[in-house]
Amino acid sequence: MTTRAIDLQGLWSGYGGVPVVRDINLHVDEGEIVGLLGPNGAGKTTTLLTISGLIKPIQGEINVLGSAPPTRAPHKLARAGVAHVTESRNLFYELTVSENLRLALFGSRADRKAAMDQAMELFPALEPLLDRRAALLSGGEQQMLALARALVSRPKVLLLDEMSLGLAPIIVERLLKIVREIADQTGCAVVLVEQHVHLALRIVDRAYVLTHGAITIEGTSAELEAKREILESSYLGEAALEDLEREAGTLGS
Amino acid sequence: MAVNAPANDAPTPGAPSTDGAHGGSNFLQENRTMIRRVLWGIVALAALGALISDSAAQQAVLLGAGSGALIAALALGVVVTYRGSGVVNIATGAMAMYCSYVFNSLYSDGDLLLVGWTVNLGSGFGFVPAVIGTLLVAAALGAILYALVFAPLRAASPVAKLVASVGVLLVLQSIIVLHYGAQAKNVNATLSNGSVTIWSDIVIPANQFILGGAVIIIAAVLWAIYRFTGFGLATRAAAEDERHLTLIGRSPSLVSGGNWVFSSMVVALFAVLVTPINGSIDPQTVTLLVIPALAAALLGRFQSFGWAAAGGLMIGMLQSLIQFLGTKDWYPQAEQTPLPGVAETIPLVLVLLVLLGRGKGLPGRGSIGSVRLPFAPTPKFVLPKLTVGLILGVVGFLVLSSQWRLAEINTLVGIAICLSYVILTGFVGQVSLMQMALAGFAGFTLSQLSDKAGVGFPIAPILGALGATVIGMIAAIPALRVRGVQLAIVTLAAALSIQTLIFTNPIWSNGLSGANVPPPRLFDLKFGLTDPTSLGDGKIPNPWFGIFCVITVVLLAGLTSALRASSWGRKMLAVRANERSAAAAGISVKQVKIVSFAISAFVAGIAGALSGYRFGSVTPEYFSIFASLTFLAFAYMGGISSVTGAVIAGFLVTNGLMFTALNQWFGISPSYSILIGGLGLVVTIITNPDGIAGQWRKTWEAVQRKRSGAGNGSAGGGLEPAAATAGTKETV
Repeated sequence: MTTRAIDLQGLWSGYGGVPVVRDINLHVDEGEIVGLLGPNGAGKTTTLLTISGLIKPIQGEINVLGSAPPTRAPHKLARAGVAHVTESRNLFYELTVSENLRLALFGSRADRKAAMDQAMELFPALEPLLDRRAALLSGGEQQMLALARALVSRPKVLLLDEMSLGLAPIIVERLLKIVREIADQTGCAVVLVEQHVHLALRIVDRAYVLTHGAITIEGTSAELEAKREILESSYLGEAALEDLEREAGTLGS
Repeated sequence: MAVNAPANDAPTPGAPSTDGAHGGSNFLQENRTMIRRVLWGIVALAALGALISDSAAQQAVLLGAGSGALIAALALGVVVTYRGSGVVNIATGAMAMYCSYVFNSLYSDGDLLLVGWTVNLGSGFGFVPAVIGTLLVAAALGAILYALVFAPLRAASPVAKLVASVGVLLVLQSIIVLHYGAQAKNVNATLSNGSVTIWSDIVIPANQFILGGAVIIIAAVLWAIYRFTGFGLATRAAAEDERHLTLIGRSPSLVSGGNWVFSSMVVALFAVLVTPINGSIDPQTVTLLVIPALAAALLGRFQSFGWAAAGGLMIGMLQSLIQFLGTKDWYPQAEQTPLPGVAETIPLVLVLLVLLGRGKGLPGRGSIGSVRLPFAPTPKFVLPKLTVGLILGVVGFLVLSSQWRLAEINTLVGIAICLSYVILTGFVGQVSLMQMALAGFAGFTLSQLSDKAGVGFPIAPILGALGATVIGMIAAIPALRVRGVQLAIVTLAAALSIQTLIFTNPIWSNGLSGANVPPPRLFDLKFGLTDPTSLGDGKIPNPWFGIFCVITVVLLAGLTSALRASSWGRKMLAVRANERSAAAAGISVKQVKIVSFAISAFVAGIAGALSGYRFGSVTPEYFSIFASLTFLAFAYMGGISSVTGAVIAGFLVTNGLMFTALNQWFGISPSYSILIGGLGLVVTIITNPDGIAGQWRKTWEAVQRKRSGAGNGSAGGGLEPAAATAGTKETV
């Protein structure tokens, strides 16, 4: 029997009392990777920010890790096991790679060492860069660091926002593979916000499609893969389909 | 598929590979800059020592170590609060001063000072228990200030935080003044009175030596804490982005609050150790030491503990040296005494050198939430409002009794000064802490011209105001390169220099009694405050003087309204909102700033001349830094961004109409006005940046809407605000 790591019931959320996300129901089980897809402005990021406590919901029920926490202070949620990698990668660019990682380490000395070793095992590319300032890393390295930092805190819920932003597809693929491994091995529940539908559908178990703040399509990755054309058109609007095809051509996929 | 992939994964081209890439073990490599700075400091000190061959001069320099240590400790406190919470804390000196009173009270009487009351805990504590008790109070003070004032302001702009700290300064100071009085209080020496022989002919008190060393050790400890501990790491991370810190499970409030506690304890410790050296404590001296401390902190861009400590010590020593040189024959004299204020000018010179030399902003801070500037509405119904104001003002002087007429004059002068804040701070967003110094400059110029050179009304006051305008424009020069908090620091240091160089200069004034200002005469019209007249009850003040004040202030208010409504007003608001965008829209930011500084200084100058005529004299105290800060507080309370706000502020000022009413009707002493001003400032900044005027406008608009019955339907947009997803980064 799997348990629900995230359960949103009738969630309304937005900015300054103006709803961006309207009445969504969404759940993620342990060890499951769930995609959150949709065009720009659909409310994907808002949903993630609400789950991690950075935005207060207007209405609705949020259960994260089995119970509604007494406070939704973001740092308390993070301590409870909610790791959020935002679109901007939320790194501290003035700090070194190892300092960035140290900030997310909790627990005993041995725990922290083990977590650090595991991160280095997953991302061997970061090992020689430990003493370099995060600002001096390449985009791919920064994203690796962001993911590594999320993982060293041993999250039970991992929220990933637009990991692919500005990265070469090959790197995105590598990172997504690691996410899949982590979910399978540790039972971490993952919410993946992604613009690249084809990349996302390759690793997610299920996905929700958000349009104008409401869930319009949901299903397993196989179901969604079958109607990718419809999905992509809803994504970008008819007019943009041409652009999409052109982009697909240059990417060679 | 992988055509361009590897390029993306390669390290950024041109990235310096030396930047710690060889591993963390190499301590020297990693901390190169720090070590270099310390070495430079030592070299500079040694050079200074070598330059002064005279052993008496060397001794004088070393005697500055004690006060230098206090300045250095305050500078460290400033750096800790800035790095820990992004607040340039003008109240650092006031916190130290407060704690020195706490200590003294515990040490000599066993009384524990809690906000405004004392609790007796037995007779006189020992030295160590008293120090520990004081440090506990200091820790609590830091925690309370953060929790009540600066945590709610976490998302506010650096300037708003600085202004809030001005409120804290006023509150702390007025608590001490209300409880212990403004006069200096004698205290017992606490540290050993022994002396240290450095060379055969240089002997300095041991305590100076100990303090100088202690502050260097504290600087090193702070540096190590920030460098190596988890707390320090979290502090540095919070300085970069607080929101990101929460996402990895750390509370930025806890980090910032911890830094406030830290900073408060450091400054308290040195306040306790240093102040007894001089044998007395008073509410002003240590409070104002924040100015040299800010200069020292600025040396290391509010980041480096080494620079802050070295800078503080150096300023203390230089000031001591200058004091010693004052006894020499060649030293510039003013009326047979050494020229005052030279030592106090060191911070200004230092600040200007650092800012003009570098011109680089302080590192900003990514915080949660966004910044809202006070709303500056386009003035409506200006002429009717001014007419009503004019009539009410004139009628007031015809019907009110003597005491109320004086209060009305004080209110009018207050309105004029607050208008100068509205123009500069409200419209252009530049915080000046020297408006009273500008007013005073005009006042003292007026005194010189009319009392000594025989220049009459209206030439003398206008020349005085033009003099203030020139000073204001000079102050605008650093504003062209720096803005925000750094500008506030420049103006604070400049205010100190003007105060000591000019207002207390025996050439310009007779010490604390100030300088004489003869009553105004225009042809045969005598409308001075004390001139006899047949109008009204024949008592002082002469109603004609009041009417003259009303006309002047109505003209200034009209000028300010016209300015806001003109294209200049729009340019000013554009500069306030974003200098880069303003420049991109074709606005000359430099021109706007210079013009605003000039107009604002002119208005302040007129206010200074009015107050000179009102008192028949100009005194250093009336135009002191504290007066600038107090008026800023009232201007914010009233509403910093509108003429209405300045008018309300005028009613609130010390000895203005409101306090006279409170005193007459409820028996509340006017000595509470600064306390109320400080508290009002803090509350305004936190809850309602638009001030009382903004509150009135909102209420009025709500009434209007209700009356017209129009609902304000807001359309729910479906777009995600981009700023909410990316951590908003403020530029300073």
